[in-house]
Amino acid sequence: MKAMNKAIKGRQSRKVFKKEMMWSYLFILVPLCTFTIFTLYPVLSAAITSFQKYRPLGSEWVRFDNYINTFKSNLFFKALKNTFVYSVITVPVSMLLSFSISIMIIPFRRKVQSAFKAAFYLPAIASGVALSFVWKWIYDPLPTGLLNSVLGVFGISNQNWLGSSKTAMASLIIMAVFAGLGQNIIIYIAALLGIDSTYYEAADIDGAGFFQKVRYVVWPMVKPTTVFLSITGVINGFQSFQNAYLMTGGGPDNATTMAGLLIFNRAFKYFEYGEACAQALLLAGIIAIFAVMQFKLSSSDVEY
Amino acid sequence: MGLYKKYIGKYKYKAKIRNTFIAVILLCIAAVTLFPIYYMIVSSFGAPTEAGGASYSLIPKAFTLDSYKFFFDYSRYSVRWLFNSLVVAVTVTVCNVVFASLAGYAFAKMRFPGCKFFFFLLLVAMMVPYQVTQVPLYILVVNVLKLQDTYVALVAPTLVTCYNVFLAKQFFTSLPTSIIESAKIEGCSQPLIVWKIVMPLSKTILSVMAIMTFLGEWNTFFWPFLVCNSEAMQTIQVGLKNFSFANTTYFAPMMAGATISALPMFVLFFSLQRYFLEGVTVGAVKG
Amino acid sequence: MQKRAIALLMSVVMTAGLLVGCGGSSSSGSTEPSAGTEPVAAQEGETKQESGEKDVVTALLPPVSGTYQEKITSYIEAFNSENENIEIQVTTASWEDMTQKLDVQVNAGSPPDIAFIGSDGVSKYLDMGMAVDISQYLPAEKMEDFDEGVLKYFCNGDGIYGFPAYCEVQCIGGNREMLEAAGIDWKAVQQNGWTYDEFREAIKKGVKQDGDKTVYGFLFACSGVAAKDYFGIFVKNAGMPAAFDKDLKYAYTSSKMLSFLQDIRAMIDDGSMPKELSGIDAGKRWNMMLTGQTMITGKGLSSFEKSAYDNTALLNAGDPNAVEDSIPVEYIVLPVPVFDGGMQQAQGAVDGYICLTGEKDPDEQHLKNVAEVAYFLASGQRAAETCQELYLKPVCETGRTEYEKLPAIPDKNEDNTAAVEFLTTQVAEARPDIPAELGAKAIRIEDEVILPKFQGLLAGEITPEEMYEAIVSAGHETFGEDGCVAD
Repeated sequence: MKAMNKAIKGRQSRKVFKKEMMWSYLFILVPLCTFTIFTLYPVLSAAITSFQKYRPLGSEWVRFDNYINTFKSNLFFKALKNTFVYSVITVPVSMLLSFSISIMIIPFRRKVQSAFKAAFYLPAIASGVALSFVWKWIYDPLPTGLLNSVLGVFGISNQNWLGSSKTAMASLIIMAVFAGLGQNIIIYIAALLGIDSTYYEAADIDGAGFFQKVRYVVWPMVKPTTVFLSITGVINGFQSFQNAYLMTGGGPDNATTMAGLLIFNRAFKYFEYGEACAQALLLAGIIAIFAVMQFKLSSSDVEY
Repeated sequence: MGLYKKYIGKYKYKAKIRNTFIAVILLCIAAVTLFPIYYMIVSSFGAPTEAGGASYSLIPKAFTLDSYKFFFDYSRYSVRWLFNSLVVAVTVTVCNVVFASLAGYAFAKMRFPGCKFFFFLLLVAMMVPYQVTQVPLYILVVNVLKLQDTYVALVAPTLVTCYNVFLAKQFFTSLPTSIIESAKIEGCSQPLIVWKIVMPLSKTILSVMAIMTFLGEWNTFFWPFLVCNSEAMQTIQVGLKNFSFANTTYFAPMMAGATISALPMFVLFFSLQRYFLEGVTVGAVKG
Repeated sequence: MQKRAIALLMSVVMTAGLLVGCGGSSSSGSTEPSAGTEPVAAQEGETKQESGEKDVVTALLPPVSGTYQEKITSYIEAFNSENENIEIQVTTASWEDMTQKLDVQVNAGSPPDIAFIGSDGVSKYLDMGMAVDISQYLPAEKMEDFDEGVLKYFCNGDGIYGFPAYCEVQCIGGNREMLEAAGIDWKAVQQNGWTYDEFREAIKKGVKQDGDKTVYGFLFACSGVAAKDYFGIFVKNAGMPAAFDKDLKYAYTSSKMLSFLQDIRAMIDDGSMPKELSGIDAGKRWNMMLTGQTMITGKGLSSFEKSAYDNTALLNAGDPNAVEDSIPVEYIVLPVPVFDGGMQQAQGAVDGYICLTGEKDPDEQHLKNVAEVAYFLASGQRAAETCQELYLKPVCETGRTEYEKLPAIPDKNEDNTAAVEFLTTQVAEARPDIPAELGAKAIRIEDEVILPKFQGLLAGEITPEEMYEAIVSAGHETFGEDGCVAD
């Protein structure tokens, strides 16, 4: 395939190529403009602030102090570790689950597919207010709590889900997996529906069974989607702090303190915005390393 | 369609058994995911009285629509808030679908100097936590551009999101390059290729993008809250969390408000379903 | 197929265009009222604003009391019509949302003129260079309207940065029937207080096993960040009323802290408090109070009396909206027990209106107007109505005068009223002498060491000794050994 592309490109005249270049810049013009104004500018501004003791009415340059303070802080590393564990578990579990569910939805009639997709996707976004109440109820530590009563049936004694450092992180991870499930499912289904039936027919001729088809047809075909979901998942995972903030406050004993929570507190609780910027950029750097790794791992056969 | 084995004739019952089995699993998961929405609707039928403590009950004990009345009587802006949300969400959705797919196509299928660099730039920007970028963004929009209380301020920062550009790029990557190349050879210009080939082939993902963008925008709370002070310019989410609803002690009206604001999402979701599920096959276009 | 797609896209684009069109015109319409006000004001108020505009004072306010947000509209209408040259513009939002918005605005250098905050935030905004010392803009009699001790909460050094709206006593509260069943003379406790040992015995007596349901003696909302409340309220009575002693030495390194932590843990080990304490949030614990699963609860505010009373009324009327499985509860205000080496000192949450500016050279007349508005919001009828709804007495003279004119609360428990008034006199004194920088460091230790360790202590994962060690080492690291109390 690649060789053919090259051959075609070789035959193109310079003029056509230039025209294509012009179009491509035109196509990315609007996103690039809004991006520069509303994303790049704030990021650069934050980068500058990371070298300041920030005060809105006149900041003071402090060189690398904010970075040095960050590296000296044990809590920052503990938070990074927590964030890492959280993302590394949440992302694959959520993706595996949503991939399986998407495959299970496919054989049904369209109306049924719609109903299931609505059932998995809509509740998570349409009931934000109710959601937090329900999760608190699920994780109620007394034997009467929802999850504890279910476990009680099996003779398991009640757990202090959010209050104990043994279960707090796991509880947050379960919440996160459920929260991201719906979105992953509808994106995966879109990818599954885009697979041309000729591929299955070819596999049928080769005598492939269901699981072989999933392994050798579906999985490679949805790989760009998987890459997309895993990278955006990791970005979200590393930045997440809302749940920890609302459900555990980072505790107990900093077992669920996330890097995002630290940054939030630095910026808005203590007004040490410069240090918050330094920590945020370090975090972004770590996320970037992960993203590059993910691209490298998957790039071998994604683009064809 | 092709993934699952087709049973013909007298073996059709096997497909039935298989599908029933899958349906049972899916229904179990659905029961879990649907629970919060059930709880929300059930709670909204309570009376708009002040309750200090959380109430934990699965079955509705009272049935009254007073909480809904409370919501609509509450502010003369209730309808205006819905309208504002609609304006913002529709504008953002249309812009995202159009511009993100153009850019996604450029990044996926066109080669131009700086291609990789620009794309990586978009990605890196997503990685810097929002907590630190929102302050400069606020300074820019409110202090510098003086856009407070305008639709522009509500819409502009999310006009085209990096997320959507990335999503479009990933999907367009898997479109067969051969179709595009042959269209080029036949003298098709780039915009025409996007319009006639890429868009129709990607209806599914574009409608997914539209839905996710719309619902995301509809649900956004903090940014509109930050840049709008006048009550007339608030969106429904801001309005809902305002006033008495801010007070979690008014539990039932809060849930009634949440239910009302969820309704447009349901309408949109089901009305876009048609486009959503049409698995456009590449083969059909080829032939 | 393609035609349909084109049609759909066209219609979407057109509706969007249409909506944006209307939106634009209506948004410009909606800004008119504020711009087109009477041109009278300009001569009097010599502001730098263009002629024909009132000086706009912006305020960011939370739902201070149940009906505050409804009343604020009428307060402001009254003020705006009486004052020709000032116009108040209010933005309201939930506590958490308004705090977040305020903090973003402060970081961006454009805060509202007035914000409603807890007085512990004063030093933080002062440190940002945004708090306005209003003492120079108002006549002394307006300052003297407020009780000196409470006003001090809004002072730092010599400056006054805002006015208090109320002083809320944060203590604990009990279920009258259960207290009496356990043989606790609550009236005597309200008057004389109790020691930790007395309290410990009392809550032991409150524990009952009712089938598979346990009734606890005492319960505090401790889930997540709320654990800080439990620590903060109780530590006041353990001889450490503030993080710093009078010599500005860090107080929490004192050995009193260790015995305090041991006492706290003992109540859980006794079984008087649930072992799942660290996972119980505010909503849950009030639910448990109303359903009779605990005898005493915290943190307790005096307005809880109303909440319990209302639920009992619903129960008596057979209304299904009463909290499920709840029982009639009469709420009794109780003081926090006194620990070894401590004395009774109530925790007072003083909240109020702080004045802010984001400009380097703010306009004097504008600041004077801002101070006037802050005084207006914090005094007189506003103070009286807000405080009454919170079951508190106003903290300013004009407020108290108006308070007398208000119709009395029906069925108010007079013993509670007296107890709250008595506790208010014991509220720990404000510490404007603690420099902002020192205060900020203490808050950081509290958030990063004390809170997480305390959560661990409540969950039974850390011993009191370990927690004490952690506090001491954090204190030494931050303030040096000389900067910490050692005894």
